[in-house]
Amino acid sequence: MMSADTMLKRAAPVLACIGLLAVWQLASLALHNDSFPTAIEAIRAIPSILSDKDSLVNFGASLRRMAVGFGVAVAVSIPLGLSMGRSRAVASFFNPLLMVIYPVPKAALMPIIMLWLGVGDIAKTLVIFLGVSLPVIYHSFEGAKAVEEKMLWSGAAMGLTAAQRLIRIVLPAALPEILTGCRTGLVLALITMITSEMIARQSGAGNILFNALDMGQYDTVFAMIIIVGAMGICLDALFERIRARLVRWSEPQFDIPLSFS
Amino acid sequence: MNARAVTSDLLLGLIPIALVVAVWQALVSFGYAPVTLLPPPGQVFARMIQQLLTDTFRQEIAATLFRLFAGFSIAVILGVGIGLAAAVNPAFNAVVRPIVRVLAPLPKVALYPALLLLVGFGHESKIALVTADALFPILLSTYYGASTVEQKLIWSAMAAGTPPREILFKVVLPAAAPSILTGCRIGLVISCIVVFLAEMITSTDGLGHVLVTAARTFQAVDMFVPLITISLLGLILNGLLEAVRSYLLRGFPEA
Repeated sequence: MMSADTMLKRAAPVLACIGLLAVWQLASLALHNDSFPTAIEAIRAIPSILSDKDSLVNFGASLRRMAVGFGVAVAVSIPLGLSMGRSRAVASFFNPLLMVIYPVPKAALMPIIMLWLGVGDIAKTLVIFLGVSLPVIYHSFEGAKAVEEKMLWSGAAMGLTAAQRLIRIVLPAALPEILTGCRTGLVLALITMITSEMIARQSGAGNILFNALDMGQYDTVFAMIIIVGAMGICLDALFERIRARLVRWSEPQFDIPLSFS
Repeated sequence: MNARAVTSDLLLGLIPIALVVAVWQALVSFGYAPVTLLPPPGQVFARMIQQLLTDTFRQEIAATLFRLFAGFSIAVILGVGIGLAAAVNPAFNAVVRPIVRVLAPLPKVALYPALLLLVGFGHESKIALVTADALFPILLSTYYGASTVEQKLIWSAMAAGTPPREILFKVVLPAAAPSILTGCRIGLVISCIVVFLAEMITSTDGLGHVLVTAARTFQAVDMFVPLITISLLGLILNGLLEAVRSYLLRGFPEA
């Protein structure tokens, strides 16, 4: 049996969505701008996009590239980040290079990568890979750095080899921080996915969105914004579920408000 | 850490960067990559210095920096304000929390077409996009930082007779400062990325526009110049933020 309080908590994000859509509706009614359709008009345009076979193929292509880029990035970045966190030499070897790469917008590499690899899947997946890997490396690095030394010493005293210590002690201890990085990486994957498709307009969700913008189909533009937004929210919620399962033991108690007023 | 360890760390860190440049040069000089696709590093850096001396290129940098700073400052003010308010006021928290949960994972670039249609093609839409993207990391880390302030500190301040408003500025804000600054650092990197992207999508000036113009005319050298410039700008800004951080956190045990 759910109490009224938890039910309200579950419903809160839905209420927030409805509230935001209502604000949008009122704003567009007040502005009377041809290029700013109302929320209801935009929602009405969604079914025709989702029932179109071409656009479904496009969404599939986008999600496939994102999944591949994200998966490879996580698989490469976590070991790299962890070993950077545990070894000073590795850290000082890679740190400056990563700091130089970090502020470069990965999607801006798209025009250059396109020259070498063409406009196909490889170029876009590579860009997504680059976008995701940096936050994951950074957070794994921070997480591994903060592992309690005593646990490692006890592990070593009990005869674990360095590799075993990395997997059995450092990885679980750094997991909450790693997952924070993966969550940032997920949002970045979506962003780079959209922008890479906007630059190399060949297929994908970003392609539909920006082509509609150029052709002045404003209800499609806003409908696509809703769809992409929903995608982001669903992926994030899904990830949050997985994360909650994996790191149940380290739930931070953030929900207690400070009392002094 | 002594000075010698720092220099050896620095030297070790320069190796991969030198390697990247060396491989780049090797690819060109052994003919694996045609010069039109991958210009040699020397040519790129020479071009960059030459560009930095021209007024037009400096104006592009100024336009990018202006948008970056405007968007980032608004994001810091809003993020720290909303984050603190949500941490201390349960009612405000109940309203803001679900909205943030919905908006934070939304890819903001997808909102850019809407911003373009609403506020036009000028500075405003780019600044708005930078703010939208930089806001959430700052807001979230402010909130986490402020809500994990030790309650005993607040009780001591109350016992000493500090009024609630002053507790906010004298206890909660300083105690949350390390977390807030971490959020600002992430927000700053994101601002660099986003301002560039926004300029690539639609713009008449700025570094992103330089890249797009070069890409359309297949000027490979000119494509590398803005990318390296934004990377350097990011490094410089990061260094500045690091300096601000170590000044603000000079009283903390490990900053």
